[in-house]
Amino acid sequence: MGLLCSRNSRYAEADTEENAQAAEIERRIEQERKAEKHIQKLLLLGTGESGKSTIFKQIKLLFQTGFDEEELKSCISVIHANIYQTIKYAKPEKGEFAQNELDSSKYVLSVENKVIGEKLSEIGSRLDCPCLNRELAQEIETLWKGSAFQEDVLYARVRTTGVVEIQFSPVGENKKSEVYRLFDVGGQRNERRKWIHLFEDVTAVIFCAAISEYDQTLFEDEQKNQMVETKELFDWVLKQPCFEKTSFMLFLNKFDIFETKVLKVPLNVCEWFKDYQPVSTGKQEIEHAYEFVKKIFEELYFQSTTPDRVDRVFKIYRTNALDQKLVKKTFKLVDESLRRRNLFEAGLL
Amino acid sequence: MVSCAVCGGCPSDYVAVSIAIFSMISLIVKSTFPFLMHKVPIAKGSAFWIPVIQVIASFDFLLSIVMALNFLKFQRSHWWLSCYVWAVWLEGPLGFGLLLSCRLAQAFQLYYVFVKRRLPPIRSHMFLPLILLPWVAGAAFIHEKKHLNYRCHLGTHWIIPVVSLHTLYVSVLMGFTGAIRHIEFRFDELRDLWQGILVSASLIGVWVSAYILNEIHDDILWLQVVSRFILLLTASILVLVFFSISISQPLLSQISLRKREPLELKTMGQALGIPDSGMLLQREVAVDVDPNDPLDKLLLNKRFRQSFMAFADSCLAGESVHFFDEVHELGKLPIDDPVRRIYMARHIINKYIIAGAAMEINISHRIRQEILTTSDLTHPDLFTNALNELIQLMKMNLAKDYWSSMYFMKFKEEARMRCCGHEMEEMRVYNFSPRLSCVHASDDPFQQDQFSSRFTQDIHASSH
Repeated sequence: MGLLCSRNSRYAEADTEENAQAAEIERRIEQERKAEKHIQKLLLLGTGESGKSTIFKQIKLLFQTGFDEEELKSCISVIHANIYQTIKYAKPEKGEFAQNELDSSKYVLSVENKVIGEKLSEIGSRLDCPCLNRELAQEIETLWKGSAFQEDVLYARVRTTGVVEIQFSPVGENKKSEVYRLFDVGGQRNERRKWIHLFEDVTAVIFCAAISEYDQTLFEDEQKNQMVETKELFDWVLKQPCFEKTSFMLFLNKFDIFETKVLKVPLNVCEWFKDYQPVSTGKQEIEHAYEFVKKIFEELYFQSTTPDRVDRVFKIYRTNALDQKLVKKTFKLVDESLRRRNLFEAGLL
Repeated sequence: MVSCAVCGGCPSDYVAVSIAIFSMISLIVKSTFPFLMHKVPIAKGSAFWIPVIQVIASFDFLLSIVMALNFLKFQRSHWWLSCYVWAVWLEGPLGFGLLLSCRLAQAFQLYYVFVKRRLPPIRSHMFLPLILLPWVAGAAFIHEKKHLNYRCHLGTHWIIPVVSLHTLYVSVLMGFTGAIRHIEFRFDELRDLWQGILVSASLIGVWVSAYILNEIHDDILWLQVVSRFILLLTASILVLVFFSISISQPLLSQISLRKREPLELKTMGQALGIPDSGMLLQREVAVDVDPNDPLDKLLLNKRFRQSFMAFADSCLAGESVHFFDEVHELGKLPIDDPVRRIYMARHIINKYIIAGAAMEINISHRIRQEILTTSDLTHPDLFTNALNELIQLMKMNLAKDYWSSMYFMKFKEEARMRCCGHEMEEMRVYNFSPRLSCVHASDDPFQQDQFSSRFTQDIHASSH
């Protein structure tokens, strides 16, 4: 009897130890689940080339530790690649050339420049871009000065594929702030198939629409206008059942390019903006055109929103993703908006 | 006997009708068996619709024969029991005509792809209605002129054009099949076509005899009964034998009612007999990968490719690596084997290139059009431009994150263990990816077990 008792107690000890471990694991799991609940999920959606990844990069710079050396190094190679690619594939502005050909030899170039152009075009089609030495750089400069796309600035443009995320928390006036998890996706048609995996429990969708692309076509479909594609995509996103309670922040992006373009290429070349009539010139005209675009997006939002969803937050922001100050300011407004909404949901407002 | 021959209801009629019903049920079972038993996902596009239309056309055909030839006893007072609906419309444009048009559409595709070596200029959903037009015109004409007699038979004069239309389509089918007879198909396409031609030709023979006998000796009632019994019997056999899915979905044809043991899941590469396709052999050299090497060189190493593929799948960017893998398989096929190259090229196009494909890759419009409008599907550089674009994309998006991911660490561990022969340490798998923290989704097309290969994606793609 005594032996039995003592044996039992030894087992009992082992049991309690196991129980303690199990309890500890349970507690940790519960903690993580609670932590997950407090993380606000933000999605950056939009068509290809709308500026999502640039906004993503800016936010990373603003709220995370910025880019490490490896990333900066890789950026150089991207810039190199972009130089060659731009020469090979640059699309002439519709207003200046009447053709849709992407062949570099079809530019209006002088004979000497044609030779340089062809040489650089050949380089661009190779996989490994050679180092940008002084000689090549000078040749590019010659070509650049003579060509019609001087406006194009060298920014490291890379298509995103798949999904990337970062977690950050913008430290506001009060130290205790929200934790955000921001997801960046590819915008081309084949990438949109993958968006569905991210649609659960989204706090806010930041929809980027590049308003300067009203006269451009898609990378993946040269028969489709960028703006019309944006309109259809925005409509589709708004109607998603998972976004019943999700806030929508519409970033009307690439405003800097829009400013200069709208004075040269009329808005009504895009069939969605066909009702637009220019009223004046200069700054007034820019503002008028912008207000028109903003109004059209608002109309689209209300058309695509059923009555039961009409109380979700919808804000429009004018952005230029390359301007860090503007992105910071805009994001602060977004953050405020979301916090207000959270308080409202919690019944405190 | 007299009444039964005229109004229907003879014992032989009931036997024939039950054979027809049995044949219809077998047809439906045969067509749905691979999807239900082996849980193969339903294909999209013409690979789904053409077999479905064939089943419907078979049903129409059998029904038209039953109703038009007085097999069953019932009143003919209502319009939908009228002769014209059954003997003219359901038998012609919606029955026999539709059956043969489906086959013709498939033969046309095969001809274009394997003889002309380019993708067909007209898609099936436009080609099919086009070749059905003569039937519709004929049916409308007969309906207009009201040539059927009270017993639902055409007069002798009108039999000839009707039968010649039937024969014409069979001969056109024969013509297309003859043009492709020298191709060594791998999935029984030719055999199925010849089978279909043989059976449909013999049916027409029986039919003609039956009608002639009916007209010449329409007072001989037993002849009527016998001829319509034979007619329905032959039609039932025709629809069963005529149906085949090999042309639309070559991989699916390997799963059939005939085979007893369930087949191993295969990729197109394995089905075509490409050496070392889909398998990770022991003798694959485990080289130490140098992150400074260009990515396209590193990807040629199979183990590295598998590891990189798993990483890319975890951040929902896997299609580029899968595409690289399958183009690499295509590269293993010799240049002087155009048939297999065409199968593989078509498979890759259906799976990766066509807009809306299951694993559509991120390439520019120009490159996509170049591939889709190529004049030579066997060209060794067909996918080179697309591959270059994708390698660039992978370099910029995935390469850097891969080096700091668990997948690379696991790969290094495994390489070290293989060459040093240490005991396998237990590695806790965090499923950590620097790109994406949550990787699980139930209907994720990229989510797959290590061993159930890419079969499901192959079946997803419509073999057009």
